[in-house]
Amino acid sequence: MYLRRLILGAVAAAPVLVAMGGAAKADAISPDAAKDFINQSGQKLVNIVNSQTGSQKSEALRQLVNQIVAVDLVGDYVLGRYINVATPQQHQQFQTLFHQLLSYNITYQINAYQGVAFTVNGATQQGNDMVVDTTITTPGKAPADVGWAVDEIDGQPKIVDVIVAGTSLRITTRNDYASVITDNGGQVSALLGAMQKQIDKFSAAQ
Amino acid sequence: MLEKTKTTLKYGLRHSLAAIMPCLLLATGLSGCATAPPKSDMADYQAYQQLNDPLEPTNRFFYRVNDGLDTYFMKPVAQGYVHVTTQGIRNHVGYFTSNIGEPARLLNFMAEGMPRAAGTSFMRFLINSTIGIGGIFDPASALGYKETDTDFGLTLAIWGMAPGPYLYLPLFGPSGARDVLNLPVEYFATPMEAAPASDALTNFSRAETGLNLINTRANFLAPIDQVKATALDPYATFRSLYRQSRASQIQQIYISDGRTPPPWTQSQQP
Repeated sequence: MYLRRLILGAVAAAPVLVAMGGAAKADAISPDAAKDFINQSGQKLVNIVNSQTGSQKSEALRQLVNQIVAVDLVGDYVLGRYINVATPQQHQQFQTLFHQLLSYNITYQINAYQGVAFTVNGATQQGNDMVVDTTITTPGKAPADVGWAVDEIDGQPKIVDVIVAGTSLRITTRNDYASVITDNGGQVSALLGAMQKQIDKFSAAQ
Repeated sequence: MLEKTKTTLKYGLRHSLAAIMPCLLLATGLSGCATAPPKSDMADYQAYQQLNDPLEPTNRFFYRVNDGLDTYFMKPVAQGYVHVTTQGIRNHVGYFTSNIGEPARLLNFMAEGMPRAAGTSFMRFLINSTIGIGGIFDPASALGYKETDTDFGLTLAIWGMAPGPYLYLPLFGPSGARDVLNLPVEYFATPMEAAPASDALTNFSRAETGLNLINTRANFLAPIDQVKATALDPYATFRSLYRQSRASQIQQIYISDGRTPPPWTQSQQP
């Protein structure tokens, strides 16, 4: 009887394992590699923020975000348990919308900054991620401590989370999107509609 | 003197109850309880239980009320305050108001059983009140006594009390069934309440509370604007941020209370 249950369990688990195998693999990364990566990415970001303006700046920031952030992985995390509820088309649409929304969200805040300075402090292992602690100084504002969670995705270091004052950006976004879905009767389409409306709002403002 | 204190307390209590009663009646009248999903849908039901926000409709109502008050009153005042002050001035105001809250933090650290954190808090209050000229400067941080925040809600958390359902309070903002118990404690555990009551002290206390509110709002202008502009559901985002922030504060307390063994306990290598 136990053998039957074991086999049934393995048969049930197989599709899940296959699905997981198809997704990008996140590996651990050494503290020095993570710090170097954040240093380089930070310098690129600071160069864009300090030297460019307007739509050129937004476009350059968007390209940088796609290079250094594991947007697909973060998107899957943010969708959470609704990844099983969404149809493949909805999942695809969600990823497309999430890519756009993430870059708009980042450029919204950073567009106002001019003369940013960036210091890498240290790196500690937190859970599965290597969190690099940095201090971002903007003239006229208090310095901000920001933590960047870095993982190695398909051999490349990428940012998977931003931690400010103990709050994780991907957890906050996941709770935000889950609330939109539950408030609309568990429909993923409601989330997609809300994301599209938000993107339209951003592009109209620019 | 004792009679005057009693009268002040009675007046204060009556006054605040009078302000809160309409809100409580409104809350009950609005049938503010969320409906749980059926147990047959296990994933949704478990998610609902984990979210622990059974009063969501009422909370959302008070969020909208607060949002209106903030947009049309607090934020313009804070923006004006930022216009007439520099970041330096705002930092010093922050140090001053933070120092006034230090005795409360000392009592809470003692109640939590965190001797090192309590000692640091005591030294901070002593150094900043004297060398820091009434708390305006923060020489204690330079001397190695870094600030760690705590309050009665976190004390209860460390004692083992669960956070309870999420509450969005009018005026006070995000809170919880456990954290709301901090409000009366915070009111009474200030140096102004410990000293003999007088009109001047009461006026000072009110002015300090007002300044603290405006200074704190001014420091959060950019983050709150960002949340409101980028979040699909700002209410849910603030709820998530509040809970993560509380969990992080508890972690910080344990870190700040880390005991370092004295040198004579280290083993001597031959």
